[in-house]
Amino acid sequence: MANEPHDSPKTPGRWRAFLARSREFAPVWTLLALVLFFSVYSDSFLSLENAGNILNQVALLAIMGTGITFVLLTAQIDLSVSYMATFAGVVAAYYTAAHLPQPWPIVAALLAAGALGWINGVGTARLGIPSFMVTLAMSLIASGLSLYLTRGRILFDLPPLSETLGSGRIFGVKWLVIVAALTLLIGHLVLKYTRFGRYVYMTGANPKAAELAGVNTRGVITAVMVIGALTAGLAGVVGIGRLGSATPTAFDGMLIDAIGAVVLGGTSLFGGVGGIPQTIVGLLILGVLRNGLDQVSVDIYMKTLITGIILLAALVFNILFAGRKEN
Amino acid sequence: METTTPLIELQNVAKRFGGIQALSGIDFDVRKGEVHALVGENGAGKSTMMKILAGVIPEYEGKMLWRGKNVRLKNPRHALGLGIAMIHQELSVMPELTVAENIFLGRQPLRGGVVDWPRMFREAAKILAELGFDHINVRDNLERYPLGVHQLAEIARALTSGAELIIMDEPTSALSPMETRRLLELTRNLARAGKAIVYISHFLEEVTWVADRVTVLRDGGKVATLDAAASNKQELVRLMLGKEAAFFEESKLPGAASKNRETAVLSVENLTRPRVFEDVSFSLRSGEILGLYGLIGSGHFELGEAIYGLVRPASGRILLEGRPLPAAPRRAIDRGVAYVPPSRRTGLFLEKPIYQNVSLPWLARISGFVPRTPREIQAARAVIERVGVRPPDPEKEVAFLSGGNQQKVAIARWLVEPPKVFVVSEPTRGMDVGAKEEVMKILRELSQNGVGVLLISSEPETLLAASERILVMAKGRIVREFAGETVTKEQLLHAAAGELAEAR
Repeated sequence: MANEPHDSPKTPGRWRAFLARSREFAPVWTLLALVLFFSVYSDSFLSLENAGNILNQVALLAIMGTGITFVLLTAQIDLSVSYMATFAGVVAAYYTAAHLPQPWPIVAALLAAGALGWINGVGTARLGIPSFMVTLAMSLIASGLSLYLTRGRILFDLPPLSETLGSGRIFGVKWLVIVAALTLLIGHLVLKYTRFGRYVYMTGANPKAAELAGVNTRGVITAVMVIGALTAGLAGVVGIGRLGSATPTAFDGMLIDAIGAVVLGGTSLFGGVGGIPQTIVGLLILGVLRNGLDQVSVDIYMKTLITGIILLAALVFNILFAGRKEN
Repeated sequence: METTTPLIELQNVAKRFGGIQALSGIDFDVRKGEVHALVGENGAGKSTMMKILAGVIPEYEGKMLWRGKNVRLKNPRHALGLGIAMIHQELSVMPELTVAENIFLGRQPLRGGVVDWPRMFREAAKILAELGFDHINVRDNLERYPLGVHQLAEIARALTSGAELIIMDEPTSALSPMETRRLLELTRNLARAGKAIVYISHFLEEVTWVADRVTVLRDGGKVATLDAAASNKQELVRLMLGKEAAFFEESKLPGAASKNRETAVLSVENLTRPRVFEDVSFSLRSGEILGLYGLIGSGHFELGEAIYGLVRPASGRILLEGRPLPAAPRRAIDRGVAYVPPSRRTGLFLEKPIYQNVSLPWLARISGFVPRTPREIQAARAVIERVGVRPPDPEKEVAFLSGGNQQKVAIARWLVEPPKVFVVSEPTRGMDVGAKEEVMKILRELSQNGVGVLLISSEPETLLAASERILVMAKGRIVREFAGETVTKEQLLHAAAGELAEAR
């Protein structure tokens, strides 16, 4: 991320303030630099059609990332989201195959994911197990449930609603993108314009102080773990529509991208700082990077490495910013 | 005292932070074998100056001389390399390691690439013995010892790293009186052994006792450097504030004893939490300021937490206006109980604006389901103006404020809806005399408006300044009540420490 702007303000104080602010905006600079880079080095990158592709590519991540944003804002983490997404997809397909009337398979899928999230929440907030450990265990449980229900097979009977939302279009726009945009929008409204949203930020900023001010911090943490699970479940339910089937490992690989996108955007792993706008920037960085690398002549076997390096660089920025706060 | 070249000298040092002149025209020197104290109100520039001395702030105007030669410290490591060590207010020890490991943290003696434990234990024991603390087993984990020993480990660490100049920042703020006395004696001994010491403290009594010279700072400038022997507390306070201030060595307590009293707003009955506090009973009237004094670790702060519902007592009852108070902060707030914890850091959101700190307990009432920022700001402005937070800008982050003003925010929050009972723990810790007096004034005003104030503190002056009655706690029990009589600081100390001796 060597795109720190190099102008020379008049006083060192102003320069420092500018630097501090530019760190907050570092993800935006990163995004702009990537867009600029790929626009110059690829003929096909900068087009309306490709922009649509990018949105389509990050839509599932966006749904999942909305919940993760809530979780990270309270200084917790959820390593089970992608496995819960897979599990929700499997539940929806399983009950469709079992001829449960629609839309009950989808309701069952979301409830099942929500229940797992509630267990994550209780384990973290009431029992005091670090969320890292609880959700690591939960990833195995969700994964195990997916395998058990499918017996390792691929399920092709999908709820029609999943198929529509996952691969249908309305007025030429993919439903998937619309669902993602709505999820992000609702997440943003809840975080910024509700009392609960304020509690989420304050709990993450200083849990002890929030408790002292009468905030039910355990309830807040339980709630964000459920929210994380529900958006993961939603991602699974529409995701199977996009893939055309439900497999016992369908979305497992999304974990790193989903958490990575949120952190890339600048939401702090230490809680209290960030939000949905940051997550959108992070999603776009990841989307542009993935898409752009496909369009320039990069060694295909280098792509993962490059993505990893960019992610690491973004994390370093995040830590630097957190360090500034302490001073 | 030697009169050779000073070990370290600042000449005409100045420092700006943005638009604020934090220091200007500072001349300061410390000689070998001398304790040079630095006093001043919060915000007077003590910490800035200390950070310059320790290499934390490398950019400043003016000159620094080390052993008579011009130096410019690049960072704390550079300072340490020259022989300048700082003992931080918040200790940087690791309680779960042994005393010896803490002393040699990061510099453990090695043999063949592995830690030479016998040698480390031997050398640690030697240095502690030199300091007069040979009863400490260096193989024990540090956590087994009280805070005073933690401080000692830091000092021993500084000495073994070859420090010539030791900067102590409020070293006694968390220590018991006995530990404080030991530390002061140790400090004198270090000076006698040729070390140079910069001693920063709010406790002027300590300063006049331990220091050879005292430099008073006010508003970023040097007011005077005095011979400690020729100065007294009143004079130092006058120099710090630029005016006379009231001092509380003793107080005639106006309150009547707790018996035969009209209905109490808060009564605590046989409250017990094993090993923390036991069988505590007392009552608090509306409009009364009840002091609760104890040495660190006597359970008085924990009692405050229990009243607010942060911890559940094992047995006993808490009654608010005759009805039981459940153990949950939210319920306590709704019933009219307010609480300020002993540490500002645990109670405030430093990175969040003042108004969000103030409004959090009241969000449901101020703005309903959707937080309405203008209303929050309005509510916050009203209360922070009332308690005199400077600057009174509700949108500023709390971290921008000085310690005293942060504490005022912690108090102001509870004025949005006047409480019936206000439990305040250590409201003036680490504050200068002027800010202390302002906080006390707020508490007095609250009590005059009918609020029952439970003032919990380990600083006798704080309690004597405002209390109508004083309860003394030791080893988790209330051992003494002072009411309707004149009580002195010594009497309080004696009640708390004397009983402590008996309890052992």
